[in-house]
Amino acid sequence: MNNKTTSNHNITEININKSSTTGNSTAKTKATKNNISEAMPDEKLDKKLLQAMKVPVADDLYNKLMLRQTFTNPQQKKRKSRIHLALAASVAIFASLTVYYLQFSTSYTNLGDYALAHVYHEQDVFSNSDTNRVSLTSLNKKMTTFNGSFTQSMGELISADYCRFGGIKSLHLVYKGLTDNVTVFIVPKDEHLAFTQKFSDNNLQGESLSFAKSNVIVIADKNESLSQWQHNINDNITWSI
Amino acid sequence: MVNKQVRYEALVKALHGDLYRYGYWLTHDKQVAEDLVQETFLRAWRALDSLKDEKAAKSWLITILRRENARRFERKRFEMSEYDEANIMDTQSPSNEQDIENQWLRDKIAKLPPEYSEPLVLQVLGGYSGEDIANMLNLNKNTVMTRLFRARNQLKDALKKEPEQVMFIYE
Repeated sequence: MNNKTTSNHNITEININKSSTTGNSTAKTKATKNNISEAMPDEKLDKKLLQAMKVPVADDLYNKLMLRQTFTNPQQKKRKSRIHLALAASVAIFASLTVYYLQFSTSYTNLGDYALAHVYHEQDVFSNSDTNRVSLTSLNKKMTTFNGSFTQSMGELISADYCRFGGIKSLHLVYKGLTDNVTVFIVPKDEHLAFTQKFSDNNLQGESLSFAKSNVIVIADKNESLSQWQHNINDNITWSI
Repeated sequence: MVNKQVRYEALVKALHGDLYRYGYWLTHDKQVAEDLVQETFLRAWRALDSLKDEKAAKSWLITILRRENARRFERKRFEMSEYDEANIMDTQSPSNEQDIENQWLRDKIAKLPPEYSEPLVLQVLGGYSGEDIANMLNLNKNTVMTRLFRARNQLKDALKKEPEQVMFIYE
């Protein structure tokens, strides 16, 4: 925006306006007073307008602006970063508490309740339409931790991973089911979780099998035949000790 | 950092007056105008690095100020009303003819519809071309030219209607 061009623009615009006003004034011929005002060139009007528009500016405005910038700004920056730090800290604390409660909490006293909670917690992680498949070999590799193995595959295994089950290192298997995932937990026996044979809530049902050193828990929705799964597990699983 | 401070100081020194006046004509309130200018420069300080072309500084600041003003209405829509007549008039008593005339014209400018007064202030006070104003106000250039023309005409009509006041202007 060059100053020179700007003022040039102004002049041309004023000229446009002038020509239209003169056209206007010739159309109207009224009292002399009116003619005077209409014949007044716009430059003159603009000069008057400029004078009127230049309202006095408070002398201390400049100082106020400088003062505010010097003092308010760094403080505000500081406050902002503190807020961010506080936010980050709270989020971290909340997250660690959540993890702690979900993974290490012993507030569940029996296998069934804990298993249900665990499945709900990871509900969104697995979907029945997942295409990942875990081979029998890699499953059995993981099973060695529990001194067990499967002789043949029980179905389409979507995921097999270690997890914390009430603070106990366990194996978490997710199979493709009829309508939704079927979850199988291999949990070493531990005293603080009471064994529950059968458990269910509105959506899910579960059954536990007790072996010498581990419990095997199957959880599925109500369309699934748990006894069939139990049967398969019983037939397939072998324990080395 | 020092460089930024120097730039900012120069910017404030050169433009705070124009910006304040622009704010005044936008809001018809000295205090609000002052607040707007403060808010505008605070934002300008934070975003100063994004200002590459010093020549564009004024229109940049005006744009910030207009946005701040719009935000003011979002915040307290319930207070949005016709401006107070008393606010328009200067409280200081006019000392001479020139002051009386200015006062009288100010009143007339303030009574223009805002869509007329805003381009007029930008042109007369800011020295902007119709095209610049059209860009700043997000309007068509022809619209701006029409409004400028009508604003001047309305002021002229107002001058006609008060002959005893006009005397000051035409001696």
